[in-house]
Order: sequence, then structure tokens, then C-alpha cells
Amino acid sequence: MNIIGPDALVFGVENVKDCEQYLIDYGLDSVGDGRFEALDGTSIVVLPKDDASLPPALPTGNMLRKTIYGVADQNTLDAIAGELGTDREVKVLDDGSLVANDDLGFTLGFQITVRKAIDLPAETVNAPGAAPQRPVNVAAADPDAAPKPRSLSHVVYFVPDVAKGEAFYTQRLGFRCTDRFTNAGPFLRPAGTQDHHTLFMIQTPPFLQGCEHFTFHMGGPSEVMQAGTRFVEKGYESFWGPGRHIFGSNWFWYFNSPFGCHVEYDADMDIHDDEWTAREALSSEDTSQIFLFQHRDKWFPSGGPPPAKE
Amino acid sequence: MVPQWWSTTGERITKQFNVIVLTNSFKKLCHIDDLKDGTALGFDPLAKGQDTLFVVRQGPVLRSYKNDCPHWPGSPMAWRKNAYLTSDGAHIACHGHGARFDIESGLCISGPCDGQSLQSLELKVDESGYLYVRLEHLSGKTDI
Ligand code: FES
Ligand SMILES: [Fe+2]
Repeated sequence: MNIIGPDALVFGVENVKDCEQYLIDYGLDSVGDGRFEALDGTSIVVLPKDDASLPPALPTGNMLRKTIYGVADQNTLDAIAGELGTDREVKVLDDGSLVANDDLGFTLGFQITVRKAIDLPAETVNAPGAAPQRPVNVAAADPDAAPKPRSLSHVVYFVPDVAKGEAFYTQRLGFRCTDRFTNAGPFLRPAGTQDHHTLFMIQTPPFLQGCEHFTFHMGGPSEVMQAGTRFVEKGYESFWGPGRHIFGSNWFWYFNSPFGCHVEYDADMDIHDDEWTAREALSSEDTSQIFLFQHRDKWFPSGGPPPAKE
Repeated sequence: MVPQWWSTTGERITKQFNVIVLTNSFKKLCHIDDLKDGTALGFDPLAKGQDTLFVVRQGPVLRSYKNDCPHWPGSPMAWRKNAYLTSDGAHIACHGHGARFDIESGLCISGPCDGQSLQSLELKVDESGYLYVRLEHLSGKTDI
């Protein structure tokens, strides 16, 4: 099934204003109706938690109300409707999109993807032994750059039954497991993308079920660092990172949020095809990252006499 | 106990030290008037680049806790500078996964660390109303 990845995540929140400001400061663009878009048109939607248009909340009260997948075409939508229609209700909304629950109780949407083709250079690197990636006389470091999230990358769920969740996404929707943390869960990739994962599930007690984090792809590691630094300087609370994961190789920087989950910037994820054999490891400090840094306030050493005391 | 060591010439020296245990000291945070009723403030007295503790005031109750959630030790709790409380101000919240804590006791009353407690820090107020925190317990193993 040609599912490309998440097009949008819909949240029902308590403090709409806080959440909206958070997403703007994160770098998304407000386009109205509670929608906050990345450069390719993927988005986060923020609505008051009692908004009548929202699907019901999970029993845990998690604020994620709907995960909307973008698919390639109407044929894919029809195939999904046919497949899921065998054992559950599949609603067709006025806009032609589908709504159905997964086997864990998450509300899913499916629509012909809104993703726009974007044509932007990736971060470039010059290194001895390789042809320069940046033309001569082009400076990479720009203190005034305001890197923007490019595309909704992945969502991570806390789930009460990882095996059940994995079976649903792989057997019913054609996702593949790219790698696995034995004691947590699988990284899953739908057929319409080569990204290492658009969905990762973590086994938890039932009362934690919900969204653990979501993230958007940035243009490269420097953009993760620069956007993350900008976010810290705006007063937001770093949770984990910056660092680089091993499974997926994506650079990461996670923040706390008013959405009851973490929000990440990521960049430079591995891509895979069906030839790839999934790896497996116990999740730990050592297997989840090759290195981890921690933000500190800007500082610089210099020569000469010690600086004057304030 | 009187410490002893060897001098560079090999002679044994006994000396009385006047030891100042710096980590045992109190550090000034703010004036009590900076802390409005029903709010919290985060502080970074060790210049870590991230607030390592917060102080919360609820009526006459003044408490300080490490910015470190017992659900996953090392996790900071606010979602934005000073945003440590639930929107109604009734509880301390961890914005990682929604744990709620009693303000007065630091006890987790709902969430993934139910029954566990925040690590409280000793506060002092001087005659002029300045608030101090005891640093001793701040530089523990959870180095955030
Ligand atoms: S880290 Fe605080 S609730 Fe999970
Ligand atoms: Fe992630």
C-alpha cells in the first residue's frame, strides 16, 4: 500500500494559545483553522480539546486525537478502505479522506497526500578527499539563518501491546520493520517512503498510551542545532539532545511541550528499501545514540588578561 | 580528625585546616516578592545552561525541588521557562508525560511515577526577604 507517511497530527489541547505560540516558535507557519505547516505542507493541527470535530480522546486523555496519513492516490485509499473495512468501521469524510481506528485505539485518517514537492538544498559539507559540496566563496555559517522544519518526519506512540500494534501496521497497512529495540518496539516504514521510520512504538503500561513525540525533518545537523538553540533562547526546555541516533542515524534534539509529549527536530535520516535486514538491540544509552551533547549558554575563551569582573 | 601529609622535603607535617565546604553553602536565588503566589520560578545556580531547580509558592507554602522528574531521572519538567505548574496552578506538572505532583510534599499523585517524590531542596529566607537554596543536594548524580 502506497502510504507515504504522516501528513498531519491533530491535537485537542487545553491551552490553545500556548500550543499555537509553541509551534510558531518551533518554526511552523500558521495557515488558519488551527493548522501549522512545514515547508512541504505537512502539519500539526491544534484545536481546543472539546472541539466537536475532534475524534474522541484515548482513555488516557493523551492530547493526540488523530494521525492522518498521506497516501499516493485514490487507488491506495480504496485499497485501505477495502482492507480495513473487513473488520472495522471505515468512515469516508466529505473531503474524501478515510477515518478508522488501528488495533490499539488510535484514530487514523488517510488522505491523498498534501505533501508538496520542495526543492531545497541539503546542508553541504566540504571534506578532504571528497569533491567540495559548497562552491568556492560560499560561507556556510549564517548567524541570522532561521531554519524551517521541512516535513513531518515521524510520530512515536507509547502503546500497551507492541506486538499487536506491529501486526496491524505491517499486516494490514504494509509497513515494514526497519530496526527493533527488543525491550521497546519496532521502527516502522510504510511502503511509500524510504525513510528509516515514520512510526516507532514503545511498550508501556496502558495508562501511558498516546503520543510520546513527533518531529519534523530539518535540512541537516546544523539546522537541528541552530533551530534548537533558537528554541532554547526563546525559553523552551530541552529534554534530550542534541545528539545522533544509531538506528536511523538521524540527528535529534527533543524538547518538552504543552502537548503532553515531546517535540523533536531531526535531520539526515537513513533511507532503506526492501533489501534491508532489520537490526535488533536492547535499547540503552549506548544503543540509542552515538553521542549526546547538552546545550550550554554561549561562552567563548580568548587570549589576553582575564576579563574584568562585573 | 587532624589531616597529615608529607612536605616536599620529606618531613611530616600536621596542620589544622580551616575547611570551607563550598557545596554545603546556600545560594541566593531571588527576592521573595519576585515569586508571585501560585507561580513557580526556575533557577540555574550552577550555570549549567538549563534550570536545575525551581521554587514554587502557593499561599504560605514555599517549596523548592530539583527540576528532575522521578519518572525518568534526568528529565526536566517545565515545557517553557518557569512553566512547572498545571494551568490551574493546583499541582506541579511534568510536561514529559504528564505526571502531577502535590506542591507541598512533592509527592506524585498521578502519572507514570505515582507514589514517588520530587527531590526537595532546603530553602532559607533572610531578614530582607531574599531567598536562598542549599546547594548540597543539587550537584548529585543527576547532572542535568
Ligand atoms: S519524564 Fe516526567 S512524566 Fe515522564
Ligand atoms: Fe524521534
